[in-house]
Amino acid sequence: MEDERPLIHTDPEFAVAETDVHVIEGSGTVIGTSLWKDAWRRLLKNKLAVFGLIVVITITVVSLIGPLIIKAATGYTYDFIPNNVVLIKSMPPLTGPEGSFSWAHPMGTDNSGRDLLARVLLGGRISLMVGIISTMVSLIIGISYGAVAGYLGGRIDNLMMRLVDVLYSLPYIILVIVLLAMFRSKTPVGQLVLLFIALGSVSWLTMARIVRGQVLSLKNQEFVLAARATGVSTTRIIFRHLVPNTLGPVIVYATLTIPSVMLTEAFLSFLGFGVQPPLASWGSLAADGIQNIGIFPWQLIFPGVTMALTLFSLNFLGDGLRDALDPQMRKA
Amino acid sequence: MFELTLKQITSLIALLAFALAGVSCKSAQGEVFFGKTKPPDRNVLHYYTGDEPESLDPQVSSGQPERRIYMALFEGLVEYDPKDMHPIPAIAERWDINDDFSEFVFHLRRNARWSNGDLINANDFVYTFRRGLSPKLASRNAGFGYYLRYGEAYNQGAVFVRDASNHFLLEKDFASEGNASQQLGQKQLTPAQSGYKPTAQESTSDRDTPFHQFMHSPARLTLPGDEKTRNSLMAKDAKLKVAVAGKEFVEVKAEDIGVEAVDDYTLRLSLRQSAPFFLGLLANQFSRLVPRSAVNTYGEQWATPGHMVTCGPFKLKSWKPYNELDVERDPMYWDSASVHLDEIDFYPLVDLSTAMNLYKVGELDAVSNHTVPNAWVDVVRQKKDYMIAPEAASIYIHINTTKPPMNDVRVRKAFNMAIDKDNWIKWRKIVKPLDGIMPEGIFSGYPYPKGDRFDAEKGRQLLAQAGYPVTKKGDGSYECPTFPVDQVEYTFPTASTNKTMAEFMQAQWKQNLGITISLRSMEFKTFITYRANLEYKGMAFGAFSADYLDPYTFSSIFYTPTGDNGTGWWDQKYVDMLDEANTLPAPRRFELLARAEQLMIDAQPIIPIETGAVNWTKKPYVKGLYPNAGSLFAWKFVYIERDPSKWDYSTPTLTN
Amino acid sequence: MLRFIIRRLLVTIPMIVVVITLTWGLIRLAPGNFYSGEKKIPKAVEKNIREKYGLNKPWYVQYGRTMGHIVRLDFGDSLKYQGQLVNTIIARSLPVSAIVGILAYLLALIVGITVGSIAALKQNSKWDYASMALAMLGISIPNFVLGPLLVLLFSLALYWLPPSRWSGFPSRSVVLPVLTLSAIYMAYIARLTRAGMLEVLRSDYIRTARAKGLRERDVVIRHALRGGIMPVVSFTGPALAFLLTGTVVVERIFGLPGLGNYFIQASLNRDEPLILGIVAFIAMTLLIMNLLVDIAYAFLDPRIRY
Repeated sequence: MEDERPLIHTDPEFAVAETDVHVIEGSGTVIGTSLWKDAWRRLLKNKLAVFGLIVVITITVVSLIGPLIIKAATGYTYDFIPNNVVLIKSMPPLTGPEGSFSWAHPMGTDNSGRDLLARVLLGGRISLMVGIISTMVSLIIGISYGAVAGYLGGRIDNLMMRLVDVLYSLPYIILVIVLLAMFRSKTPVGQLVLLFIALGSVSWLTMARIVRGQVLSLKNQEFVLAARATGVSTTRIIFRHLVPNTLGPVIVYATLTIPSVMLTEAFLSFLGFGVQPPLASWGSLAADGIQNIGIFPWQLIFPGVTMALTLFSLNFLGDGLRDALDPQMRKA
Repeated sequence: MFELTLKQITSLIALLAFALAGVSCKSAQGEVFFGKTKPPDRNVLHYYTGDEPESLDPQVSSGQPERRIYMALFEGLVEYDPKDMHPIPAIAERWDINDDFSEFVFHLRRNARWSNGDLINANDFVYTFRRGLSPKLASRNAGFGYYLRYGEAYNQGAVFVRDASNHFLLEKDFASEGNASQQLGQKQLTPAQSGYKPTAQESTSDRDTPFHQFMHSPARLTLPGDEKTRNSLMAKDAKLKVAVAGKEFVEVKAEDIGVEAVDDYTLRLSLRQSAPFFLGLLANQFSRLVPRSAVNTYGEQWATPGHMVTCGPFKLKSWKPYNELDVERDPMYWDSASVHLDEIDFYPLVDLSTAMNLYKVGELDAVSNHTVPNAWVDVVRQKKDYMIAPEAASIYIHINTTKPPMNDVRVRKAFNMAIDKDNWIKWRKIVKPLDGIMPEGIFSGYPYPKGDRFDAEKGRQLLAQAGYPVTKKGDGSYECPTFPVDQVEYTFPTASTNKTMAEFMQAQWKQNLGITISLRSMEFKTFITYRANLEYKGMAFGAFSADYLDPYTFSSIFYTPTGDNGTGWWDQKYVDMLDEANTLPAPRRFELLARAEQLMIDAQPIIPIETGAVNWTKKPYVKGLYPNAGSLFAWKFVYIERDPSKWDYSTPTLTN
Repeated sequence: MLRFIIRRLLVTIPMIVVVITLTWGLIRLAPGNFYSGEKKIPKAVEKNIREKYGLNKPWYVQYGRTMGHIVRLDFGDSLKYQGQLVNTIIARSLPVSAIVGILAYLLALIVGITVGSIAALKQNSKWDYASMALAMLGISIPNFVLGPLLVLLFSLALYWLPPSRWSGFPSRSVVLPVLTLSAIYMAYIARLTRAGMLEVLRSDYIRTARAKGLRERDVVIRHALRGGIMPVVSFTGPALAFLLTGTVVVERIFGLPGLGNYFIQASLNRDEPLILGIVAFIAMTLLIMNLLVDIAYAFLDPRIRY
């Protein structure tokens, strides 16, 4: 989802001020420490953003090690179907097969008797992984593309940005759906790779634009002239000198892209095009849960609330980051 | 950035969680009925019928969703009684049956009309049967017409053999495989138990037309119409070849089928064998009237809104594909005064849980059989509007008896005895056990034979006798290393209930015999052909629902080695028993059929698993809709009761 | 202005061609046959299909044929829905999607702009905090979680509204799908409006208007709002693309016979004619809507000239 405000650092005057800070500091290093420390301090003051950060970290950690703990403690995994036929049914949270209280399944089970908590945690792993990796894919593509276009300028830049404009107005989701529907991979891992590529290719466009804007305003700075004068190759200039200076808005945009990509992946899995069984993501868990919403609502509520909470926190974090890195846009 | 405190956020989340919990508690809680029970304002029933109907032509489609729609739009000679499905008069007022159940004479009422006002007479039935069996129509239900004399021959495009002096070769002169057809008796007609007495003037026993005499003459020999098949048949039978030489092949025509309009309101059906169950068969959609006028005018498109002409209690009002099919009361119907509902709206849906949700909210007043999803049954069967009744359907496992190792009856018995079926039944909760092929508790008066009990040890002994000894391992589990597991697998059509059953069976065989049978699932239509052609290795899933309410519908599964049989088992003794049973009066008939079933059980071509149970719900204010064994409902008896004291507060009883 | 429109239209047409080509390419490149999916078809039927679609000819000939038909808006018969023209299916399902989509967006606009404006006017008040928190919630709850929860509450528990199926418009079956679909847009639009209004309210010409003694209401509605909703207008473009996925999911949840649902079914069934038809239609709609948005933008902001 495109960010709703004009992003920082497109105003040339301001960009100059930033880099002037670098130059004043006198350090040859690309990343000025005081700027980041400032931002970090501002971020910490924002209670909501901190809350978001904590939740995100908690969920990530729990998703990673949680399944191992559960397996060690109870033997349940996300695909463990009990042998005893009596247990193959959907039990409510904290309830045993006969209806009595039981710690065995804190989130209940699905229709095949699989522990829902284990499945929600797996969903977390997959959803977060898809979100992060796809965002990284789009980062790599977007940054390279935008930086090259911005630095080279002129006709090439024009052409490259035209292409971005054209691609922008394509109905991406349609093509992605058709792609995933036609090329169903045989292995779950293959399907994931397909997803990474498909989702990554959706969000690189805006990244490219942002980076290009940044580069445009930076490329006439003295440090760039200095690098050129000393004979640094174009590639090095772009990737070692210019790109790191664009990191501010890139980080902000990336943090806001992750939830949007996760949401898209959830849509696709919900419709049946994304993650395939036996793997599960929050989207596919929601699809399974909706079937039984009237009778076993916990099958939808737990994955749904977990996902909402994660997205909520990521959004807060992203907002906080943006405000931290972008002081002059702060509302009174 | 605004500063919403952490406290405010947590309280917001807590509020939401509380609301959700409250709602989900209410929805899972103990309401007496499953959902809202407010009768609809208008006198309209909303019914979930299954998938989108393929066609509204009753002779074309054989699917379940269409069946109930056909029963609203079309009527035949007889109708299913709403409670026990025995045949009750419909367009036929009364009927006479001869002593060996091979000839049926129907006396039609004179006031039956089509929806366009035209009167209905016996010629409409003649047309309907002839059209249904015509090879061009290629009806999938044509088998229902095969009991009529020469019905099968006409449908298969067979030929008679005629010599120069216009004499036809007779069937009795040539031994044929399996079906030794009965000669029609020359006995007197006796009246049937329909509650009507025939009047002296109406007796047709001496109304002997030339066609009737033709029907009573010895059956003519029929040969396949296709030359190649015929030649290969003749090559195997020298006597046949000689007899046929020099003679002419005459196509079996529609006029040769054993239906005759003796006069405008008398219809005579002549069968090729004794069939006491034949009346029940006539309520099937295949034998419901098809309007000749509409078919002649519009051809294949006759069954569409605007063109359609119907003869049932309702006529077509509108049809929005994949959305809704509405039928409304037909004032031209002969019994329109007894029809209670003004309209029925059929909703075609694909998803079972969607249907149940709509039912819960009251958008649907009743759903068709097998609509409650398996995972929901535990919860829904606690409600008073869940129908608890047995179903005339059997679930079993076919065994391919033509290939080793399953061609050894000891191996088959071992596999049967190694399953703890009681445990399975307990989990399924609503179904009953099955010992043979007849669903338990359906046919009153039928002496159900018993099958083998669960006996894992005996099973292992049998396997050892057959040459596959089972040894016990150190950890207490079994193994059977000599058993050729690559020759045996279990195939089933893809559906979650089938998969659970497959996994259960697999676990049982592994646990009790030490043999791990691999599972294979495939798409339904592919599966049906795969099994019918005996291409499967070892075992395959089987489910059979009654076509009519008589044990013979199940017995006849093994009458021929092909078709629904799917096991390759065939025994002349069994066929003889069946043929003889059909000539016997009621109690002795059942005894003989039961003995035939015992013969089948001893041969173990199938592993019986469970007797089906109906699985549907209806609102308490819907009356006249009974959970009969076939889930087929004559809609004219259904009505909406608005006085709560008269509602159904439990499953309505099926006895009178 | 006119030149701008014409130029954009000229660009639109090749774009649609590109989209259709890409889709066609994906379908044909995919492994397996596009006409059978997983089922095995009898040889005779397969032969008929291959002849009908000219699959024996080289790919560029097939492509040319397909495009030739499409240019005349002839998408042929659906493969799965026997005997139904793709155009018929689209005509039948379009109104459903359109009604739900338009109502959802209108609702989102009305509620979102109102809430966002009031939040901006009453900045830092309780109202501001509460509505922005709700907006954040709206963005974070996926519609396939919100929808079923609404169904659980208003339909299965309270029996007020139907849980699925489309009973035409207007009817109660419209309510929940529209609510579900519009939630996220309401949230975004509220935030955008608030941000935009805050900026505008600080600007000089508003200060002038206030200084002139105009009533606050006039200041807001006649002057500030025009500038304040600019971010909302520019959001409409990408929002439309998102509305599409949202519609697909909502149609799935509620079983609506709309374009999105048919598109998903067609993709799963590999129903090439139907896929191409719907894709072409959607691409056209999106591009035209984007154009309209840009025109609206020009009307609203006199500073923009094309």
